[in-house]
Amino acid sequence: MAHISDTTPVSVGAGSLAHSRGATWRDRIFPFWNLVFLVILAATMIVPFLNVLAVSVSGPLASSRPGIHLWPEAFTFEGFRTVWVNVGLERAFVNSVIVTSIGTTLHVILASLAGYVLIQKDLPGKKLLVAFIIGTMAVPSELIMIPLYVVMKQLNLLNTLAALVISGLVSGFSILLMRNFFAGVPYDLAESARIDGASDFRIFTNIYLPLSKAGVATIALFELVGRWNQFLQVILFINDSSKYTLQVALQTLVTENMSTSGTSMVTPNVRMAGIIIAILPLIAIYPFMQKYFVQGISLGAVKE
Amino acid sequence: MRNTIRLMKIHAALYVMLIPVIIYFLVFVYYPLVRGVQLSFQADKLFGPKPYVGWDNYVTAWHDPEFWQVVRNTLIIGVGSLVAGFLPPIIIAVALNELLQITFKKFVQTVVYLPHLFSWVVIGGIWIYLLTPSGGLVNEIIKRLGGTSVGFLTDPTWARAVMILLPVWKGMGFAAIIYLASITSINPTLYEAARIDGANRFQQIYQITIPLLVPTMKVVLILDVLGLLRTFDQIYVMRNAVIQSKIDVLMVYVFDTGITNFKLGFASAVSVMVLVATLIITAITTVISRYEDQGG
Repeated sequence: MAHISDTTPVSVGAGSLAHSRGATWRDRIFPFWNLVFLVILAATMIVPFLNVLAVSVSGPLASSRPGIHLWPEAFTFEGFRTVWVNVGLERAFVNSVIVTSIGTTLHVILASLAGYVLIQKDLPGKKLLVAFIIGTMAVPSELIMIPLYVVMKQLNLLNTLAALVISGLVSGFSILLMRNFFAGVPYDLAESARIDGASDFRIFTNIYLPLSKAGVATIALFELVGRWNQFLQVILFINDSSKYTLQVALQTLVTENMSTSGTSMVTPNVRMAGIIIAILPLIAIYPFMQKYFVQGISLGAVKE
Repeated sequence: MRNTIRLMKIHAALYVMLIPVIIYFLVFVYYPLVRGVQLSFQADKLFGPKPYVGWDNYVTAWHDPEFWQVVRNTLIIGVGSLVAGFLPPIIIAVALNELLQITFKKFVQTVVYLPHLFSWVVIGGIWIYLLTPSGGLVNEIIKRLGGTSVGFLTDPTWARAVMILLPVWKGMGFAAIIYLASITSINPTLYEAARIDGANRFQQIYQITIPLLVPTMKVVLILDVLGLLRTFDQIYVMRNAVIQSKIDVLMVYVFDTGITNFKLGFASAVSVMVLVATLIITAITTVISRYEDQGG
């Protein structure tokens, strides 16, 4: 049966190879069920989000009514207005933007500087530095949350946004990722610049950074998402609700009526509007994400 | 020696570049690590100096039934998610790879990856809402199908199942894309050869794709195992008083005892035990995967 497809002049292209290989009857049924499977799979992802979106733009009464909400009822942006102004998500949103932007910028700068240092071939003490940096990767931040709290307290940083910027200021993962990107830049290029009298910093900014834009983008995007979603550090270091970030403000909102009572002042449309606000920035950077993250994972997985 | 000093002088600027990084790691990783171990040997006193009490905190934890309950919960939920989440991403990756329709393939890829991008507050918030007994989407569907509504987050058994399955739902798209990346790097001539030998599509998947995915499976499994003891956000966001005792995990317990109840020494002792367990697990997985690499 296999030769039938060999002799049939099927179209040429990326997909045609897969299409033509071994065409038994089972192979003809397979694509159909495969498609059905993937449609159902996609539905388990889309339906919940569609539900959230539909409820967020429904009226307070309509959203509280039992039933399947996959389409807005009594369409209104009232939920968004309530959550932004009355519930005060605006303040938390601004805090999140501050922490995320400053934190990500510093993270990228520090990780690239350190990554650059690590590719130098004749740097005395480099082995020690590498061990020092890799050692930090064996210590998950969750496992030192108690002493971290104590340290922040000693430094008088509790209840400040600075504490949030500082935690995760740089990471061994990002440093190694940048080092792996920089290692792909021809060393001769740097050598010849050095002979021409360029300083290390100049070589870094004028040769290495421009040639490693993908690396910078990768860690910037990783960090952006991580920072935006940061949760444990916020509940650990912040008590004052005016310093809450979006995730923590949202948490008190969405989990409020989960206890058995069910008597919540906040209607579902308001809560779902909060969720939409929290995910919109991530959806905005998502197209860029996809391009870089597989690359990031494969490079990051490279062992020392 | 002189040569080393000469090189250090040449690279002085490089050392300066590293100073902030070194300070950060010293103050916010290594020092807390040491301080955590120190705290674990100190008594919990709110005021005044804290006396050293030897292994007291460890002994207290060891004899605390709540500690063991939390260990049990961590293992049940962690291993449950690990097992339940192993096959789905592989199946999804293979299914996506077999798909000829490029636009639809891209679409599915995008959609399944989305939950991984969002925080546990978002995912937890959505599912708390979807699983509400009165008016939640899931129970509405169950009722339409003729069933009675289920208190998914008020019944401890159901709650555990939800805690096991949600990370699978959240993470399978992410893992699937890692698998898909390694499937696409498989040499197409292998399939070509198999096809000439008369292998049908299932045989090709079984004999070529799956065996060649084993190294990726190892990487994904190791990452999952390492994350197992660190679960926090998910449980913290989704727990409530009714189900708490059946779903609270180690890190939530550390947070509760250490930060909420201010038993810093006790919580540190639990953290140090988890840290040691993590290091042992890391060592074991590394040895196993090395051994297998050599054997296979």
